[in-house]
Amino acid sequence: MAQPPLLEIKDLGKRFPARAGREPPPWVIQGLSFAVRPGEFLTIIGPSGAGKSTLLNMIAQIDTVTAGEIVFDGQAVNSHDPRTLRPGVDRRIGYVTQDDNLLPWRTTIDNVLFPIEVQGRLNDQTRAHAEMLVRAVGLAGYERYYPHELSGGMRKRAALIRTLAYDPPMILMDEPFGAVDAQTRMQLQADLLKLWELGRKTIIFVTHDITEAIALGDRALVLSRQPARIAAEHAIPIPRPRNVQDIFALEGFAAIYERIRAAIQ
Amino acid sequence: MTRWRTITDRLLVLVIILAAWQIGSAIVGPYWLSSPWAVTSRFVAQMLSGELIRQSGYTIWESVCGAVAGGVPAVLLPFLLRRHPLMVAILDPFMVGGYGAPKLAFAPLFILWFGIGIESKIALVASVVFFIVYFNTLAGVRALDPKLVQMAQIAGASERHVARHIVFPAAVPYIFAGLRIAVPYAIGGAIIAELISSNRGLGYLVQTGAMNFDTTSVFAAILAATLIVHGANWMVNASERVLLRWRPQTAVMVDAGD
Repeated sequence: MAQPPLLEIKDLGKRFPARAGREPPPWVIQGLSFAVRPGEFLTIIGPSGAGKSTLLNMIAQIDTVTAGEIVFDGQAVNSHDPRTLRPGVDRRIGYVTQDDNLLPWRTTIDNVLFPIEVQGRLNDQTRAHAEMLVRAVGLAGYERYYPHELSGGMRKRAALIRTLAYDPPMILMDEPFGAVDAQTRMQLQADLLKLWELGRKTIIFVTHDITEAIALGDRALVLSRQPARIAAEHAIPIPRPRNVQDIFALEGFAAIYERIRAAIQ
Repeated sequence: MTRWRTITDRLLVLVIILAAWQIGSAIVGPYWLSSPWAVTSRFVAQMLSGELIRQSGYTIWESVCGAVAGGVPAVLLPFLLRRHPLMVAILDPFMVGGYGAPKLAFAPLFILWFGIGIESKIALVASVVFFIVYFNTLAGVRALDPKLVQMAQIAGASERHVARHIVFPAAVPYIFAGLRIAVPYAIGGAIIAELISSNRGLGYLVQTGAMNFDTTSVFAAILAATLIVHGANWMVNASERVLLRWRPQTAVMVDAGD
C-alpha cells in the first residue's frame, strides 16, 4: 500500500464567477482533499446539487479550479485559465457523463470506435477489442444501429464501453446509470464490475445512491452539502467478485449502509 | 394505401388546375392566355427539336455554378468563424443587410459589371444562395451541443477532428434546410438575370416569347423551369435521405412534393 496515489485532490475549491451587479455566488466546493490509489474503485456519494459533477469536470479538465490543486500521476494538472485546460489530460482520464453523449450520426460500433479513431490507433487489434466489449455488454447484433434506435440502457452501455475501449488508466463516472430503471441499472452495475475485474482500472464513480456506492466501490466518500467537503470516508470490505443482485444479503452491507446513511443526515 | 391516395389526389388537383386554365384561355382568348393543350404541344415540339433542352441546359448550368459559388463559402464561413464569435458579431449586421437586400434589383448592376454572358447570372445566383445558406449553416453551428465537443476533446480529438466529426455532421440538417429554400431561388435568379439581358436560357425564351405576343412559348419555358425546380428538389430530398439516415424518421421534414 506504499504506492503513490494516481490522483490527489488538495484543498480544492470552486466558485463560479459572479454575474454583473450581483453578489458573488457561494463556494460550490471548498477545502476538498482526497487521494485515489492506482486500481482503486472509489465511489463518491453526495446529495443532488452538491457539486459532484463540478468536481469530476475539474478532474477531467473541462472546467477550471478556483483554489487548490489537482495532482494526476505526480503532475499538477489543475488550471485556473480556461484556455490552458487540457481535456482528458492526454487521453489518460476517461469520462462517462450522465448523458450518454453518443454521436447520433454514428452507429453503435462507430461510436465505440470514435476515440480510437481520432487517436489514430484504429487497427485490427483495437477493433477486435472494441467488438469484444460490445459482446460483453450484450450489444451484439446492434453494432449497425443508430443511437435513436437503441434503448436507454443500451445507450448507457455503448457510452461506457466507448471509454473502456481506448483504455485510459483512470475513468470518471458521473451517475452513469442514473436515468434507467432499477432492473437495467442492476444489470449495468454487474456489467461494469465484470469489465472492471478484467482490467482493474482506477475509477471514480459518483452517485447519490448509497446501495450503488457500496455495491461497486472499494471505498466510499460522502460529500457534505454546499460547499462540498468530505463528510465521511468508509472502507467497503465486502470481498470481490461481488454479486450485485444479492448485495443486500452480503455480510457487512447493512452496517456500512447504516453508517453512510447516518453520515448523509 | 395512403401513398396511392396521395398520388390520385394530386392528379385530381392537376386536372382541376388544367381545366380552370383551359376555361380561362377560352374566355380571354388564346392570344392573351395560351391553352394547356397548346403549351403541352409546344413544349413537346421544342423538346424534340432540342431547343428547350439546350436553353434549359444553359439555365441549369448557370444555377449550378452560382449555387456552388455562393453555397460553398456560405457553408465554410460559419465553420471558420466558429472559434471567433466576435467576428460573427461584427459581420452580423452586414450579413443581415445582405440577406434582406433585394438581390434581384442587383441584376442590372451585375450585367453592367459582368456583361450579358454567364458571369452576371452566376453572380446573381451566388448572391441569392450565399445569404440563405450562410444563415442556416450558422444556426446549425450555433445549435451544436457543447457536451458532444467536450466528449470528443476528452477522447483526444483535435480541433480538426471536432470540426469534421462533430460540428459538420451536426450542421448538415441545417445546411439542407438552407438548400431546400435556396434551390428554387437559384433557378429563379438565373432566369430573372436572363430576362433582363441575355441571348440564351429559359429567361431569354420567356422574353422573346412575350415580345412576339407568343404566350404559348412563354408558358412552355415556364413549364420547363417548373420541372427543373421539381427535379432539383427531388435531388436535394434524395441526398438528404441518404446523408441523414441516422435521424429518427419522425424528425425528417415532410418532403416537399417529389
